[in-house]
Amino acid sequence: MPKRIPRYTISFFSKNQPVFYGLLLLVVFFIPFYSFLGDFHERFMYISIMSMLYIVLALGLNIIPGFTGLLDLGFVGFYAIGAYTAGLLTLKCAALGPPWDILSNYWVIIPLAALNGALWGILLGAPTLRLTGDYFAIVTFGFSELVVLVIVNEMWLTRGPMGLPGIASPGIDLTFLYPITRFFFENPIVYSFKGRVPFFYLILFMMIVTIFIMNRLEDSRLGRAWFAIRDDEIAAECSGINIMRYKVIAFAISASFGAIGGSFFARWFGFISPVSFKFWESILILCMVVLGGMGSIPGVILGATVLVSLSEILRQVLEPWPDLVQARYALFGIILILMMRFKPAGLIPLSRVKRVMSTKDETILQTMNESFFSVSTDRKKLSKDR
Amino acid sequence: MFIQQLVNGLTLGGVYALIAVGYTMVYGIIELINFAHGEIYMLGAFLAFSFVTMFNVPFPLAILLSISCCALFGVILEFIAYRPLRKAPRLAALITAIGASLFLQNIALMIWGGRLKTYPKGTIPEIFKSALFYINDLKIAFCQYYLQFNGISITGDVRITLLRGDVSVSLLQYNILIITIFLMFCLHILITQTKIGTAMRACAQDKTTASLMGINVNRVISFTFAVGSGLGAVAGIIVGVYYNAIFPMMGYTAGVKAFAAAVLGGIGNIPGAMFGGFVLGIAESYGAGYLSSGYRDGIAYAIMILVIIFRPSGLLGRKTVVKV
Repeated sequence: MPKRIPRYTISFFSKNQPVFYGLLLLVVFFIPFYSFLGDFHERFMYISIMSMLYIVLALGLNIIPGFTGLLDLGFVGFYAIGAYTAGLLTLKCAALGPPWDILSNYWVIIPLAALNGALWGILLGAPTLRLTGDYFAIVTFGFSELVVLVIVNEMWLTRGPMGLPGIASPGIDLTFLYPITRFFFENPIVYSFKGRVPFFYLILFMMIVTIFIMNRLEDSRLGRAWFAIRDDEIAAECSGINIMRYKVIAFAISASFGAIGGSFFARWFGFISPVSFKFWESILILCMVVLGGMGSIPGVILGATVLVSLSEILRQVLEPWPDLVQARYALFGIILILMMRFKPAGLIPLSRVKRVMSTKDETILQTMNESFFSVSTDRKKLSKDR
Repeated sequence: MFIQQLVNGLTLGGVYALIAVGYTMVYGIIELINFAHGEIYMLGAFLAFSFVTMFNVPFPLAILLSISCCALFGVILEFIAYRPLRKAPRLAALITAIGASLFLQNIALMIWGGRLKTYPKGTIPEIFKSALFYINDLKIAFCQYYLQFNGISITGDVRITLLRGDVSVSLLQYNILIITIFLMFCLHILITQTKIGTAMRACAQDKTTASLMGINVNRVISFTFAVGSGLGAVAGIIVGVYYNAIFPMMGYTAGVKAFAAAVLGGIGNIPGAMFGGFVLGIAESYGAGYLSSGYRDGIAYAIMILVIIFRPSGLLGRKTVVKV
């Protein structure tokens, strides 16, 4: 029996995964009660919610560069689709009255946003996923820019650059269970989200579900197929994997997580405008995945937490110089360059990713680049033949 | 309107073509989408502006200085960011390119600030601004037109009956077109006739064999970056003068559109990039004029996506077959 290669190159993460997630949950769960932080607590709560939102997004994006080895530069497009789906449904359907006002309920919106994201993921992915890696990257970029352009220009629907203000907070309405709950409580249970604490637990719950799904996906038939495609597309195809199908599924799942993140963002902030969905947001999320380690779930969690905290702290520190606040993104550029140069598999690398990303072996490199760049390498071969 | 949009489109297309050539040359040699190329174009505009306004350098000299600085930046960028990754997986190089783009854009934001910069009056010689000719209402069979060139007016007759509307071509637009075509011609000579051009073509085909033939591949790649970045800087300066608006984000949209132009002509194909640039510029101009000006950028993206989906090898590229 051959020795199993540990999943992560840092043995703590491959051996003690339950311990890691348990500790993480323990620390995070009580953040709303960290009163010893004093004045900083409000800020800390905000950073925590942002971090968890970005963990959900980064884990969603992680499927594409991490599991299937493609570069997706348009993730923010799905984030925007999710946010506007949630915002528009909330604002328009609440006014319609029953039975349509059920669509403005956040618990109904989450699956709808996810479905809408997945739908657009499939619509974009099906024709483009057969492209080579760099073309695919640029198409996804074009798509996200088009999404933002549509949002800016279709004033009748989205109010354009003015954005959608006044999106109601979600709430829990158990009135329909009144026949049962009336035995315990006098009034129907209606709770609407106020302040940061309920949103904190909502996004915490979403994050836990996302991490759970990602962990299960990684080892599933689907995940193994994705890794096979990542390592060597042609070999995967020869082993009977329908590459297109698995790639489109990957894209749809990734998109739906982006959309879910967007729907949370819309209902939490209460205001969305095209400014929130700039291209650099995609790069920021990509940077989280790259920093933590492509494909590595604990890595992505670490990357998102570090970058969101860093970004917020820098925003705080650079407050007096408004131009510098925006320019703090230069740091993320440097992080991307340095990571690719010195630790291409990230801070908590997956063994299988590290093997291919930092290899000096010509044959491994060639197969990898062929999977990523199949048409262009073949063009070279053709011209050589000629 | 129709002719006017064509003129505007050609001007815009010339600029895209200049940037697109930089993308396509780099891609041809090291198979990397140099995302930071748009940023070099932006730096070109900013540097020329700074030389003129801060150091009071005469405009022609500022152009030369800006071009050489940008060529140097291109070489440094390649040396620091891309060269160590030449043997690394493509994904790593692509991510590095994005990082470099993000970095340069924000450095510019840090140095020059986010506000729109405009050339103060009098810093640009008037010859770049005056109207070259202005044709009034072409539906009149014999209409008067005047050619204004340095204050000299010539009057005469023109016989065009087919079109209606006003057409004005400024000397600047005319110059842009001439400069673009001239530079393209020079580039063509450089690549087809000179020794370094032959070396570039050799490296694009096969770097290993080229190095066996005694070509210094590293130097050729540096040279390619220098030429591409220099052309990008020219485009940046032109746009800075033409629209009289310089801002740190200008490189990002122009960069992507130029990439679209490169894809349109078949990436790696230099005449294709020129052709793609003009096609894209004209399409964008007509789209903005006749459809909706809000979707101006969208037209370029849509064309790019459609071309990539339906003809990934570009309009001028050869169809490729995937071989195992």
